Order: sequence, then structure tokens, then C-alpha cells
Amino acid sequence: MAVIDDPREAFGSLRPVCVLLTREPTVHNVERLRTQLQGLSDSALQQLQEYILFPLRFALKTPGPKKDSQLLAVVECVAYVLTSTCVQSWELLRDLFSELCVCLCSPSNPGKPAPVSEELKTAVVQALDALLHAAYGDIVLHLFEPPMMPALGLAISLLLELGEHEKSRKLQTAALKCLQVFLLQCDCSQLHRSMNEEEERMLGRTFASFLPGITQGLSRVVTGDVKQGHAVTVSAMRVWFKTVVLVMDEKQLSKDKEKPVVELGRVGELMVQRTKEWVKDTGGKLAVLLKKMLACSSGHRHWKVRMEVVELSSHLLSRCHGTLVDSISPLLEALVGLVNDESLEVRSRCDEVLKSMAEQNLIGGNQAFIDILSENLHSLTTSLPRLMRSADDQDKLSTLNLFLGYLKILGPRVSAVLNSAAHLQRISKALMQVLEMDVTDVRIVEERRFHNEARGEQHTELLERATQKKYFRYFTDERIFALLQQLCRVLGYYGDLYLLVDHFMDLYRESVVYRKQAALVLNELIAGAAGMNLETSVGQKDLVSQENLKAAVTSVTEEYTSLVNWHLVTTSVESEQGDSTAFSQSRLLSITMSANTDYLKSSAGLNPTIGLMNSNIWQICIQLEGIGCFALALGPQFRLLLITALYPVLEKAGDETLLISQAALGAMRDICKGCGYNSLKDLINQNSDYLVNDISLNLQRLSQHPHTPRVLSVMISNSDASLLPLVVDIIQDVLMALDHCYDERAPVFCVVLHSLIGAFAVRWFPAETSSRNECRNPDGERDLPEEMTRFLLDYHRQRQVAEGNAAEEAELEDTEMPPPAPEPDDSEEGPAVKPELPPHISIAKEVMERCIHLLSDKSLRLRLKVLDVLELCVTVLQSHENELLPMAHRAWPPLVQRLTNDDPLAVLRAFKVMCTLGETCGDFLRRRVSKDVLPRLTGSLVKQAPVSARAGPVYTHTLAYKMQLAVLQGLGALCCRLDLGKQAAELHCALLICLHYLSCRQPPKLIIGCIVFQHLIQVDPDSVWLTLNELYCPNSYEPKHSSLHAVQLSGMGKQRNEFTENILKLLQEMQ
Amino acid sequence: MGPLLSLSQFWFLCETVAGVGSEYLSVTAAAEERNVNTHAAMALPPPDPQFVLRGTGAPVNTLHFCCRNQEQDKPLLFSGSANGAVHVWNLRTRRTESVLEGHGGASVLWVQTLNSRDALISQGRDLRVCMWDLAEGRSVVTDSILTESVGFCQCSLLDREGGHWLLAVPGADMAAVRVLDLPSKTPVCTLKPDAKLGMPMCLKLWQPDSGSSPLLWAGYEDGSVSLWNLSERSLLSRLACHAEPVMSLDFDPGKLRGVSGSSEKAINSWTLDGQQSLKLQDSVELVNPGISHLCIREDRRILATAGWDHRIRLLGWKKLKPLAVLQYHTDVVQCVAFSDHDVPSKRLMAAGSKDQRISFWSVYNQI
Repeated sequence: MAVIDDPREAFGSLRPVCVLLTREPTVHNVERLRTQLQGLSDSALQQLQEYILFPLRFALKTPGPKKDSQLLAVVECVAYVLTSTCVQSWELLRDLFSELCVCLCSPSNPGKPAPVSEELKTAVVQALDALLHAAYGDIVLHLFEPPMMPALGLAISLLLELGEHEKSRKLQTAALKCLQVFLLQCDCSQLHRSMNEEEERMLGRTFASFLPGITQGLSRVVTGDVKQGHAVTVSAMRVWFKTVVLVMDEKQLSKDKEKPVVELGRVGELMVQRTKEWVKDTGGKLAVLLKKMLACSSGHRHWKVRMEVVELSSHLLSRCHGTLVDSISPLLEALVGLVNDESLEVRSRCDEVLKSMAEQNLIGGNQAFIDILSENLHSLTTSLPRLMRSADDQDKLSTLNLFLGYLKILGPRVSAVLNSAAHLQRISKALMQVLEMDVTDVRIVEERRFHNEARGEQHTELLERATQKKYFRYFTDERIFALLQQLCRVLGYYGDLYLLVDHFMDLYRESVVYRKQAALVLNELIAGAAGMNLETSVGQKDLVSQENLKAAVTSVTEEYTSLVNWHLVTTSVESEQGDSTAFSQSRLLSITMSANTDYLKSSAGLNPTIGLMNSNIWQICIQLEGIGCFALALGPQFRLLLITALYPVLEKAGDETLLISQAALGAMRDICKGCGYNSLKDLINQNSDYLVNDISLNLQRLSQHPHTPRVLSVMISNSDASLLPLVVDIIQDVLMALDHCYDERAPVFCVVLHSLIGAFAVRWFPAETSSRNECRNPDGERDLPEEMTRFLLDYHRQRQVAEGNAAEEAELEDTEMPPPAPEPDDSEEGPAVKPELPPHISIAKEVMERCIHLLSDKSLRLRLKVLDVLELCVTVLQSHENELLPMAHRAWPPLVQRLTNDDPLAVLRAFKVMCTLGETCGDFLRRRVSKDVLPRLTGSLVKQAPVSARAGPVYTHTLAYKMQLAVLQGLGALCCRLDLGKQAAELHCALLICLHYLSCRQPPKLIIGCIVFQHLIQVDPDSVWLTLNELYCPNSYEPKHSSLHAVQLSGMGKQRNEFTENILKLLQEMQ
Repeated sequence: MGPLLSLSQFWFLCETVAGVGSEYLSVTAAAEERNVNTHAAMALPPPDPQFVLRGTGAPVNTLHFCCRNQEQDKPLLFSGSANGAVHVWNLRTRRTESVLEGHGGASVLWVQTLNSRDALISQGRDLRVCMWDLAEGRSVVTDSILTESVGFCQCSLLDREGGHWLLAVPGADMAAVRVLDLPSKTPVCTLKPDAKLGMPMCLKLWQPDSGSSPLLWAGYEDGSVSLWNLSERSLLSRLACHAEPVMSLDFDPGKLRGVSGSSEKAINSWTLDGQQSLKLQDSVELVNPGISHLCIREDRRILATAGWDHRIRLLGWKKLKPLAVLQYHTDVVQCVAFSDHDVPSKRLMAAGSKDQRISFWSVYNQI
């Protein structure tokens, strides 16, 4: 549709419609006008404005009831016209204004909105909005002159009503936005004329009259139902603060020469004189409202509302801080509380506002701002303990956020607050309270570290696990702990490190109740002081000098690792039966030092409660975490502290409690990272001198340092063969210490020796070949005829030898042999000089020597452990037979004792050792085994055979069963290895015994266990075949030639019996 | 002597009974007496070493501290070992700063610094005394002197004013002692006793406060201690105080009193009277024979001895009262030294042993 630009033409086209409308103000007609209007250009519309508006106004003004739909159309049309044109005459503005207002108010009660449809109300409000925007030049200001006040008041109160009580959010926001337009401070994109000072003052003066109404109404909206949606709240707050800023503007009031306005009669009574008293009074009232509003909105879920809080605070603080004295502190508090807001926008805006404010104030040389903040912080600290005690998680969160906000804003000035002993006391008390840990979890004590040789590999997996989750008594929300950590870090960052560390160290020492919390705080303080893990929003500040930091770290580390705080009871006494009384005494001492608690009562008995042990475990973990954290804080400087700190950490890495050893490994990783080592191995190897030094010294005082050997085993399990040269020295010391107190401390040493030799055997020097594990088959595979031929030839020769005919032949053979080459003359070194042994071999030898002594220790546990070590020693030594055999010879007698006269457990273990020995030493042991051991073992097997044949299913859980199984499984290999076939008697004996176990009445596993036969078959198939057939022979053997005897086997022709099935199986295997 | 006594009251005094074996400890009469007075539970065991340095790879023959006037807080210890290396230990990190190899693998007998830590002098059994320049990370031998002596006698150095030093060196002639001026290396004198005293075993130069001429203490193979006047080249006094060779001696110029140890079971102290004559004053009987080295602490309150029985003994210097027996080493202790740290409480005692370790002890330094 072409746009009509010419006014005359436009007039022509509009005239009929307007006339029609005047005559019949129906919806249809309004619609027609509206369509016509859309065809007009703005300029034409402007010229015809009054003409067009006339029928519309007429339609509005006609008395009598009107239909909502009709009014709606009219108002919308008016609004349309107004948005495209501007109102140039005051009269038109005034009339339209009042006409629209009339539409809005109920005829019976002009103060209340009319009970019309929401659409209509919305349309009217929008029309009002458009009207004010359409007002040309300064004519809009006439609206705010005293004579207009009643009308204006009516409009405002109507809009407030709408904003407050309407159900429709759209209408509410429209009303509130319209109110904002009344303040001439619209947010919309249209051009607004800027007001000069005088005009603003006039506006302010006018609105002063409406201030109570507006502020109260809007504060009700803000504090109203949360369900009303954030948009309503936001606009209400915006209008609120814009109004207040307008009225209470400091600049206006400071120069307010409130000239008594010309007498205006009744209207004059409405006017407010903004005198000092009035300002003060109003300020007080506003503060009350403000507090209510802030309480609702600063914790609002929607970030836009919180953002509006920031805006509100920013505007009020910057424009009205002189007039709203009472509100400053709540406003600041709101701002501070939002410094740590979840939303980034809010946070950054908040920062910006605070920064600009701080600058403005400082420029003015006005310290009030900081004073207020400090004052707020003071009062917050005062109530902090109470809040931490009583509030729920959400409240705690906001309180702590607020606290953190203050710290961040006050920055370096925080130390002034902390300098007050009372406040520091309060803060620390609150922290101690809220950080109290929950130590009731039983698993903490129960979880044990898993001892085994291959631990090195497992560790790497464990390492990935994050630090153990901590549980607190007074809160469950993770965010609170994170916040508390952040808080402590900021404290450490800004506060006087020396003072803080000193204070919390005192608390740490003061009572065991505070110890864990104080340690947590100390860790974070130091991390904070080093600027670690601080959020970016923290202002820049010179870091604490490295020297101070180092001093603090040194003293805290010393305190942590001091005997009293480091060696705490973490396991119940029974589980450490190996520990002598001397040790438990020293530990008890450490508890009594931390007296005056209820823990004392429980620790006085020898059996500490689980709670106490848990608490101790946590304390050690926290201290370990601390040390790791200090290492990260100090960086390479921490290397010097490793002299004292590394040893205790390693000691804990070897602790039996899983939690502690994990924490210690975590600390070790942190130390690696902090000090710049690539791996735990590097850390240990490069600092082995420090560790070795401590180990060596502590070995001299084992009663005070019972865990010393552990450190060595941790070193071993976390490093590789390159460590060996560094610790050879100390291994000698360990062995010597073991010699000195083999009776009390042997179990501890055994653990070390076990890990050491285990590392040799499995990781550092694994055996090169596994050929020895293969059962030797002396004859190898040959086809039968060849074997027969050989057998016959052998037989023939032996006959000859027996008859004395072979001598010449033998001589002949000798002469055929080339004369033995003269051996290279290496006797220069002398026959006595042996080549130097590799260190691991000589160590293994020495360890084995100790094992031999300890094999007959009276503690079963120790004997078992020693047997394990012995087995590993044998594995290590297998490559050096010259060393192994003499040792095996010496180890034999006590080993036989274990095999024959000991607890079944020990027998079992000893048998395994013997099998290993058999594998490695081979025929060296043959005679001994057959003489000392076999009879015993076979005897017991025979004795047990009927028992197991009769026993029920439970039998498989008994030790006797396990014993049987082990012997059956090992016997074959042993025979094979020892070449027992050469002693037919023993072999036969073994065979006979094992036959018992071929009975199908035996437990199935025992039958399978009879692989002993498979080995025996390899050793001497003929004899096995014969033995089996004696018992049961499935075939009958017909002689191939009549000159040969018929074969008669005792098993022939027997009935199927209990052995049949298994014998058949074996015979099948043999073919 | 007050605080010293009170501390010592709590220490067991352990001595090994000769011939019974190293495990068997007996308590000497003096300690027993103290034990009766104080409850057994209150007695503290003798202290452990504060730390131990390893890694010399050979028996440690000699030690020398250099902790004074250090700007970068880097206390040093020089150790000379039997494999010919001089190790420079940083006592703060407890690690070697550098290893000086200048004696071709021959055992280093003695090390000393000249004024500062940057100039070192070392004597080796390759018959050379080397002068080292250690400034700015260098480690070069700037000069060397042939000693011509194949014995084990350590040299002695005396600081004279004006950048000059006197160095007493065992001479080529078995019994003689040469004295040289450093750095010029010009011989000052050669001291050769008329009587047959055997080889010199230990030397100590001494500049008396009053007299202008420096004096030299020398212990001889026949067990006698002699005092020589360098300018007159004369033997001032001689005291036969041991039946066996004198292994080590030290002298306290304040009290004009010295002490010597030999391979026998006694430590003897002697005094120098106004007539410059020596007199035997006191003698302490030991349980095990053999003192390889002894040293009086700078404050002249403590005497430390390095024993062949692997033990270090501490005695009160005033009355030669046994204070403690320190036990750590597993072989002969060859030398003891007291640190010259500026802060008395940080002063340590170090002992080097044939077991290749250097142990550090913090003893009686809380004054």
C-alpha cells in the first residue's frame, strides 16, 4: 500500500472514516480508522493528529457504559497515533492524560483501578506511556507542576495498584515501566530530552510528595511472592531506586534553596518541603524499607534480581550516600555479599561498582566508606560463631559469602581487623566450630593397606584417586567447605601471616579438639599467603616475602612432624601385637600431652576408641595434605625442608591405614610437583641421602622410632634398581639393627626385608630365564624303536662291564679323546679371590642368613613371614648357584623342622619354599628330601587319605585339606625336579601313596591335584604304568609269541572299583 | 662450669670394657655415682648424631669447618679422605658442593683454609701440599710444595699478619720438621731434635701473645711432646708423657695447657710454666686404647677425642672430667672438629671415621 504523504489527500481519505466513527463508535469503525492510519506517513499523521484524535477522544468521553472491546480498540488506536506523532500542546496532553486516567479508574472509587479486562488496562497503560513519550519539548514538565499534582497522584497511585495487585505479569511490568516513564527516566531506546538541574529539582520536589506511596507500594511488590517472576521484581526495584535517587539526590538537596512556592491553596498542602528534618526522617524510613527489600532480593534465585540489587546499591550509594546515611551499611553489605556471586556478570559488575566507589571515596579523602566496611566486618565476626552454630547450610553459605566479600574488599586492611585480639578470637572460634569433622565412620580405621610385592604398580592407580572426602559435623554442603577454604586463603593472602600462623598454631597446641581444624586452617592460610588457588577477583597485592613464608612453613612443618603430633594411635593394640610396650608407652604419652579432653578418658585404657583413632587418622591426613600444600606453596625452596619433612611423609606412606598411606602418597606427589621432580622415583633417589641419614639414626633408637624400617620399604617400593647403590649402606644398618634386637622388632624388619627381596626378585632383577621351571626330561622325545635299540645296547654293554670285558674299550675311548687343553693360567689372582658379587646377591645372601636364624622364632606370624622372605631369597639367588647351595645347605635343618614339627600353616608355607628350593637347587637336595621330608609328608598323606575320602563338603575349607592339596600338587614337580626317578624306592613309595588319592571318593580337587602322576609319568613312565595296572588293568595282554611268558598283572580282571575311572584316564594320557 | 655440669648429670657415661665386646657397656664409677643420685628414669641417653654425611667413598681422615663470616649462609665443611678426594660439603643442604681431586688418589691427610673459604690448603700422602683457589666456583691447584715425608704427620698452619702464613711440614729427614713461609714458600727453619725421638707424629704452631717468636708443638714417635722456638731453632722443653707414639695434641694458649693422646689407654694433659718447661698435669684412663685425634673447643670448655674403639669421648677441659661417650660409628674414628659458626648455638662437632661417614653432633652448645 502506497504511503500517503500529502496531508490533503490524507485528510480526504480519513474524513469519511472519522465521521463514521464519531457517529458510531464501534469496534469495526475503529479498526477501519486504524487501517487507514497505517497508510499515512508520519508527517501527514502529525498534521492531522488532532483531527484523528478527536473522534477517538469523543468515543472515550461519551458518557454511559461502554464495552471493553470498544474502549480497547479506541485506546489502542490512540496509542498508535501517539507513538507516531508528538503532542505539541499542553492542553491536549493534559486532556488526553486525564481521559486515559479516567479509563483506568473505577467510576465508583476513583482511587482504585476499574474492574475492566486486563487487556484494556494494559492498553491504557501503554497509551499513557506513549503519551508521555509523545510530549514535545518541555511541555511534559507542566505535568509536574503543583496544579497538576492531584491528577498526577491519581495516575501514580493507579499504576502502583496495578503493579502490586494485578495477576498478569505483563500488566504489572507495563504499569511499573509506565511509572518509570513518569519519572522521565525511561530505559527505552527512544530519544529523551535531558533535563537541566532546575527541571530535575522540580521533578524531585514533586515526587517527594509521592515518595512514601511509591516506595512503600513498590517495596511490597519486591518483597512479595517469589512466584511473581523476576521481571516484576526487577522493574519494581528499578522504579524504587530511581524514585529515591530523584527525590533524595544529594546534589539537589545540598543546593536546595527550597523557595517557598507561591501559595497554591489546597494543592499547596500536597507539596512537601524537603527540609533537613524531612530528609533525615525520610532517610530513616527508607532504610527500613530498604533492609526489607534487600533481605528478599539479595539472596534471590534469579541473577537478574541480584544484578538489580547491585545497580540499586550502586545508584543509591553514589547519589544519595549523604542523605540515606542509615542505609549505607545494608547497601554495602548487599554489595559485599554479591562479590562472590555464582553469576559472573553479577560478580564483575559488583566488583566494578565497589571499585569505582572505593575510588570516589578515596579521592574525596573520605575514609567513611572503609570505616563502614570495617565496622560491618567487626559486627559480622562478632555474630559469626553464633551463625555458624545455629544457621542451616544455606544461611551459612550466605554468611560466609558475605564474610569473604568483606575480606576481599578490605584487602590488605583486613590485617587491621585481625589485629584486634577479640575479633581474631571470634573468627578462629567460628572456624574451629564449623570445621569440626565427623569422625564416626568406621571404615576409616578398618581400611588396610594391601601388602604385596607388586604394590608399585597398584600405587599408580591409587594415585589417580582424589583426596579423601571429608565429612563435617555441622554442614554437609560441599560448597561450604570450598568457601571456607577460600576464606582461609584470602585471610592468609591479605592478613599478617606471622600473626595468623602464630594464633592458629596456638589453637593447634591448645587442645586436641581444635587440632584438626587448626591444621586445616593453617594449610589454607599458607596456600593463600603464597597466592595459590585464589580466585581471580582478588585484588593484586605484593605476596608475602619468600623468607617469611619459608619461616612459617618451616615452623608449621616442624610442629606437624614432631613426635607428639605425628605418631598417633591409629590402630588398635591387638593388631600390632608385635609392638613392644616401650612403643605403646611413648604413644600414650603423646595422648596425655593433649590432655583436658574427653579423649583422655578413652585413651587411658589401652584400647583407644574408634572415634579417637579416626580422629588421629584424619589429623595425620590433614597434616600430610598440609605438607604437600606447603611444598606447592614454596616451590623449589621446599627442597631444603626435605631434610626434615620427607622422612616423616615416607614413614606415613608405609602406614597400614589406607587413608594415611594415600594421603602420604598424595603429599609425595605434591612435593614432586612443588620441588620439580619428575616422579616419585626421582624424589626418592635424589633425596635418598636425607632419608638414609634419618633411617640410619633412627635405627639406633628403634624404641622411639619403631616405624623406621617402613620408610625403607616405601623407598624400595616406589623406586627402581637405581636406588640400590644409594641404600646398600643402610641395608647393612638394617641388618645390623635386626641382629641387635631380633626378638622385639623382627616383624617390622621382616616387612622391610620382604619388600626389599621382593623388589629384587620381581621388579629389579627378575630372573633371566625360566628354563629351570621346566621339568627336565632327561631322555627327550625319541621314537620307540630307536629307544629299544639303545636300551638293548646299553644293556649289552653293562653286561660286558659287569663281566670285566669293557676295560680296554674304555681305555680306547680315552685315548681317542684329545688331551685336555691346558687351562688358561688365571691363578695370578690366586684361587682364593672370588669375583665380587653384585650387591643384590650379597644382600640376598645376608638376608637369607638372617632368615635361617629367624626360621625358628617362636611367633608363628614371624615364621610365616620369614618363610616368604626365604622363598624370595632363593628366587633371587638362583642365578648364583655357588652362593645359593651353601645357603640352602644351612637353611635346610630349620626348614625341615618347619616341614615336620610345626603348625600346619607353617608346614604349608615351608613346603612351598621347599618346592622353590627344589626348582632352583635341583638334585642338590635330592637325598635330603627323600631322607628327611618325603617319609613325613607321605606319612601324613597316607594318614589323611581315609579322612578326606570320608569327609563332607566342609572339609575343603580345612587346613588339613589345603595341606593335602599343596603337597599333592607340589610333590610331582618336586620329584621331577629332584630326579627322584633314580631312586626307585622313593618314587615307588610316593606312587603308592598317591594312589590313595585316585579314589573317586576323594574330593574332586584332590583328584585333579594328582597331577603328581603327570610328573611321575615323565620321570619313570614304566614304573607308573606298572603301578597303575597293578591296581586296575583294563586290558589283558596276550603274548605275541608262544615262547614268551603270559603277562600277569594283579589288577587284571578286577571289578570296576573306586579307582577305575581315574586310572583309565591316566593310562589314556600315557599313550 | 655450672650449666655444663647440670647437663652432664643426665647423661650416662658409657665405656666399653676392653676385650668383652662392643655390645657390653659398663658404667664407669663416676657415672654410677651420678646414677645413684638421680633417678634412673631421669637419665637421658647420650645424644644421637644430628645428621650423618655419607658419600666420601673412603675413610675420612680430616675435617675442617668453614662457617664463619658467610654472607650467603652457606656453612661449609671440608673433608679429606683416603681416596685422595677433598669433599666440600654444604652444611645447609647437607650435600657436596664439589669434590677436589688433587692428590692423584693418594690419601689426603689434612685440609685447612687460608683466611677465607676461597683458599684451601691440603696435604696428601703423595708427598705434596696443594694450594687451591676455590673462588667463584673454580677449583684449581695454584701451587704445591713437596713435603718429602712419607709419614702420617699432619702439617700445621699459623696465620701471621700481612697475608703471610707459617706452615710446619714434616721433613724429608725422618725426625725433622720444616717450617716454611707462605705464600713465598721460603724455608724459615728446619727443626731437628738432637736426641732420638723418632718421627714427628703431630705438629701445632703457636704464636704466644707475649713473645714475638712463634713456637711449635711437636709430638714424637717415642711418646714425647716437645716445644720448639722457631726463631732460635731451639728445643725449649720436652716431656715424655706417653709410652707409645703421640697421635695427636692440642694446646690451650689461654691456660698454657695442652693435651695429647696416643695409642695407649690414656689421655694426658700438661702445662707450660713460666720457665717454658713442660709438666705433666693430669691423666685420664680410658677403657679402650687408642686416640687418633683430639681437639679442644674454641671456648675451651670441651675436649673431644676420636677413639680407635669407634667412640667419640667428650671431656670437660678444666678437669678432664668425662662427660659423654658418643657412639655411632662402626669403625675407627679418625678425626674430630668443632665448627666455627658465628652463632654459638649452631656450632656443631663433626667426627670423621674409617667407616666413611661423617657424623655431626650438637653437644653442650646451649649456653
